[in-house]
Amino acid sequence: MTTRTLRRWFVVHKWTSLVCTLFLLIVCVTGLPLLFSEQIWDTFVGDDDPPYEVLPPGTPNASLDVIVDKARALYPGQIITSVNPDDDEPAVLVSMAPSWQALKDDENYTDRHSGHWIKFDARTAKVLEQSRPTDAPKEPRTWTGIIMGICNRLHTSLFAYLPGRLFLGAMGGVFVASLVSGTVLYGRFMKRLPFGSVRTDRASRLTWLDLHNLLGTATLVWALVVGFTGFVNELQTPLFGLWRVTDVRQILRPYANLPVPSQDHLSSVQAAFDTAAKAAPGNEVTGLSFPGASFGSPVHYVLWTRGATPLRARLFTPVLVDARTGELTGAYPMPWYLRFLEISRPLHFGDYGGMPLKILWALLDVVVIGVLVSGLVLWAGKRKIATDARLRALGYDLDDAEGAPVSALTGEGAR
Amino acid sequence: MNALGPETRQSSFAASPSRTPVAVWPWPIALGLLTTFGLLSALLGQHGIWLALSWAALSLPLIVTVICLIRAWRRPSSKGGLS
Repeated sequence: MTTRTLRRWFVVHKWTSLVCTLFLLIVCVTGLPLLFSEQIWDTFVGDDDPPYEVLPPGTPNASLDVIVDKARALYPGQIITSVNPDDDEPAVLVSMAPSWQALKDDENYTDRHSGHWIKFDARTAKVLEQSRPTDAPKEPRTWTGIIMGICNRLHTSLFAYLPGRLFLGAMGGVFVASLVSGTVLYGRFMKRLPFGSVRTDRASRLTWLDLHNLLGTATLVWALVVGFTGFVNELQTPLFGLWRVTDVRQILRPYANLPVPSQDHLSSVQAAFDTAAKAAPGNEVTGLSFPGASFGSPVHYVLWTRGATPLRARLFTPVLVDARTGELTGAYPMPWYLRFLEISRPLHFGDYGGMPLKILWALLDVVVIGVLVSGLVLWAGKRKIATDARLRALGYDLDDAEGAPVSALTGEGAR
Repeated sequence: MNALGPETRQSSFAASPSRTPVAVWPWPIALGLLTTFGLLSALLGQHGIWLALSWAALSLPLIVTVICLIRAWRRPSSKGGLS
């Protein structure tokens, strides 16, 4: 490698790093509490739900039709919008609203929420809990809620919604470029140094450089993977949008102009769950939305199924069941770009290998923070040297004991 | 990240005896492979031994880092490092 190409790589590393460091520091720091959000909620807020009835193990679940009928009886004249069995508790969440139109109108008012939910025990079909009525005084927000909310929004969008997401996605891409250029430089820097050398007996600048190299190498692959999957995750809104205007529109075209049938005449919800489970073998059905929902078909139940293994757990396959007849219309595996997005998610969240993996994720994150900080120190140090040299060139006498030997060592810094 | 200039100069002009070339890549490659294995084994293997292997593989880069740091600050006159 000639000095010229090396210098180019150096410029690439310097600028890509400078551009993304601040934002990476933000996502690294806010990512830490998000990693443990489940534990934080449990510890500081706790679960104030009434305890589940203790039933003999193996008690079968009640039919979802019974639960749906009960929900209708509680709010006659309202519509059901979705039915979602809980992932890990024996509960079923039924969402309702006065009408689809009322839900649509909510979008125009920030403080109006006409939708509400009822939580049933999945086995006994008894009502466990209901959402707070809209006219009830608002529940005071907890500190945990506020802090976690801030972390979440900073981490995913810098409080700037879609533009913020795309911007952070771009920063993820720049970060990957910085890692690649850093690796090239590492090969050059370490030519005469054994791996892991940290020179503590010479200029502090060399200590920082060695630290930067050591911490960077140790976390390189992890940072590449988490950075790249973070980048992919930020693209989810446009990717889902693309899917919606291509495949989804194609599938729903024959039904698009049909009227939404009254909910009194729809086929069985339980049967739709069973049909969907058969249509997507190996998947579990995680929820159903009723015909008329804004993203779906006017005449179909949309059932969301997902893979049962950690690798496939975020791989959703929607299934359409005709709500007039109960017949299967089809299962629609997602296009490759969404499958790729969904497979890349666990690799970003680190939530697929128990608590030890989360702790390792946190430690690696802290080391990456170390890489960012040491990089900043190296950059700031050089700036100081350059400034001092310019001042000296102008005839100022700087008796800065610390600056002199360092600038001698890093003579080129004066450029 | 900014010390490129002096470093390349030193390494090309310095004549100190310790500045013989060393193999640069074995350690980074080993750590990278360990990380890759650790990330994938929990994802594909899901439970039992694969989870334990994943935890072990992902801990090793961290352990190596800590060892290097301890060495460097225990013997400040030497360069620390593993070879």
